[in-house]
Amino acid sequence: MKNLYIFIVVLFIPWSFSLAKYDEFEDGDDIMEYDDNDFAEFEDVSEDTVTESPQRIITTEDDEEEATVELEGQDENQEDFDDADTQEGDTESEPYDDEEFEGYEEKPDASHSKNKDPITIVNVPAHLQNSWESYYMEILMVTGLLAYIMNYIIGKNKNNRLAHAWFNTHRELLESNFALVGDDGTNKEATSTGKLNQENEHIYNLWCSGRVCCEGMLIQLKFLKRQDLLNVLARMMRPASDQVQIKVTMNDEDMDTYVFAVGTRKALVRLQKEMQDLSEFCSDKPKSGAKYGLPDSLAILSEMGEVTEGMMDAKMIHFLTHYADKIDSVQFSDQFSGPKLMQEEGQLTKLPETKKTLLFTFNVPGSGNTSPKDMESLLPLMSMVIYSIDKAKKFRLNREGKQKADKNRARVEENFLKLTHVQRQEAAQSRREEKKRAEKERIMNEEDPEKQRRLEEAALRREQKKLEKKQMKMKQIKVKAM
Amino acid sequence: RRPPARYKPPATETNPALEDPTPDYMNLLGMVFSMCGLMLKLKWCAWIAVYCSFISFANSRSSEDTKQMMSSFM
Repeated sequence: MKNLYIFIVVLFIPWSFSLAKYDEFEDGDDIMEYDDNDFAEFEDVSEDTVTESPQRIITTEDDEEEATVELEGQDENQEDFDDADTQEGDTESEPYDDEEFEGYEEKPDASHSKNKDPITIVNVPAHLQNSWESYYMEILMVTGLLAYIMNYIIGKNKNNRLAHAWFNTHRELLESNFALVGDDGTNKEATSTGKLNQENEHIYNLWCSGRVCCEGMLIQLKFLKRQDLLNVLARMMRPASDQVQIKVTMNDEDMDTYVFAVGTRKALVRLQKEMQDLSEFCSDKPKSGAKYGLPDSLAILSEMGEVTEGMMDAKMIHFLTHYADKIDSVQFSDQFSGPKLMQEEGQLTKLPETKKTLLFTFNVPGSGNTSPKDMESLLPLMSMVIYSIDKAKKFRLNREGKQKADKNRARVEENFLKLTHVQRQEAAQSRREEKKRAEKERIMNEEDPEKQRRLEEAALRREQKKLEKKQMKMKQIKVKAM
Repeated sequence: RRPPARYKPPATETNPALEDPTPDYMNLLGMVFSMCGLMLKLKWCAWIAVYCSFISFANSRSSEDTKQMMSSFM
């Protein structure tokens, strides 16, 4: 294997060199000499023109290779001159017959004059080099970069303006409901900064806390990536909108056990696949909300019918119908643990931690072309959030519902345990083996032969006891079976 | 309504890395292209590398060092 590697590396290096050299060849660097050797046999006039054009090609070529090419071209010219006599034209006319030159007197003359004065050759390309044409690649790239930077600045500012507009409209409502608005976690004590926390050029966070029933509320303004030109272009193909994500963490005693979600059908289908709790507890497909007077665009996913009944009271329905276009999804869950974790088999030994949360995802109207004014239209949605917090606290399942809920949860846990049963068995087995090995090692390491013997006997006795116990168990099972 | 329990905010981010790998990918691509450009003397490679580092910078999170950004520009 090692040899193969070395071989491949050794092959790669000269290949890359040859690639690089090939570029130089294309510049017509050595073509003069090369062509001379190749075409020397053919007494063609075309040889003359070929030797002429590569020279011109050299001069119009771009880049750093130009310098090297010119130098080399010049060197070769020098060499040619040195090799040949000082008589001009002899170097090129040697392989030709004189007849060939009749129709091409001008060209040899031109080449004569060029060959006479190497300095002029250098001057011609130098002049062309200064023109803009030879730099078109660089100019293009720099323009692109400038455009990108401009877009970055514009996008960043727009996102900033949007965020602050949102915050200004919502500030009052938040401050009246929460004791602590805006905290970035850097201070030791909880002090209200009253400012958005900018995580990114397109994501802004706000943490509010200090209200009766909830532990806290995290608001994330997830704007579109207006600062990234690639993203802007991608969005032209596929429209998307800014999102406001609100996550309310409830206190344990303030929320009963249920899982419930409402939102656009597409969003619900996606959430059901992704979210751990929705996929486990809500087994049905999203049902249409038409029964409760919701518009067709919204669907409902819930653990029990009773939950839906309880949740869909008049005010909630009012909220949902009026702002249906702005709502992406609303999820109340007491078993929330985030999206499903993709873990390999054998690693999942414990159920993920769950927290009681209410999740809201709203779409900002305008689908990309939002202006700060649009933020005002989101204000009623915030009141809906606050209302939901209070509602979740007040809503309690009746006895039947509670029993069902508990049964569901027990079922989920059981399933999980079954899945991991094999892994846990293996883990226990390996632990037992470890213990045995440790014991044996201890026995082996005992220097005193007396102690060794005693330990061995103790171990033997323990083994025998275990065997006896097992036999007893088997007998008991047999008796029971009978 | 207001009262009790003020809590220390978590300001914890579960997994920003998981959710948007763009800046990291772009960083890596930029380095690869710049190496290519250096080794194989291909100018367009170098330009693409510059673009990649710009994109990575634009998408990066504010928690990352500015020093790292500057060095990646190089």
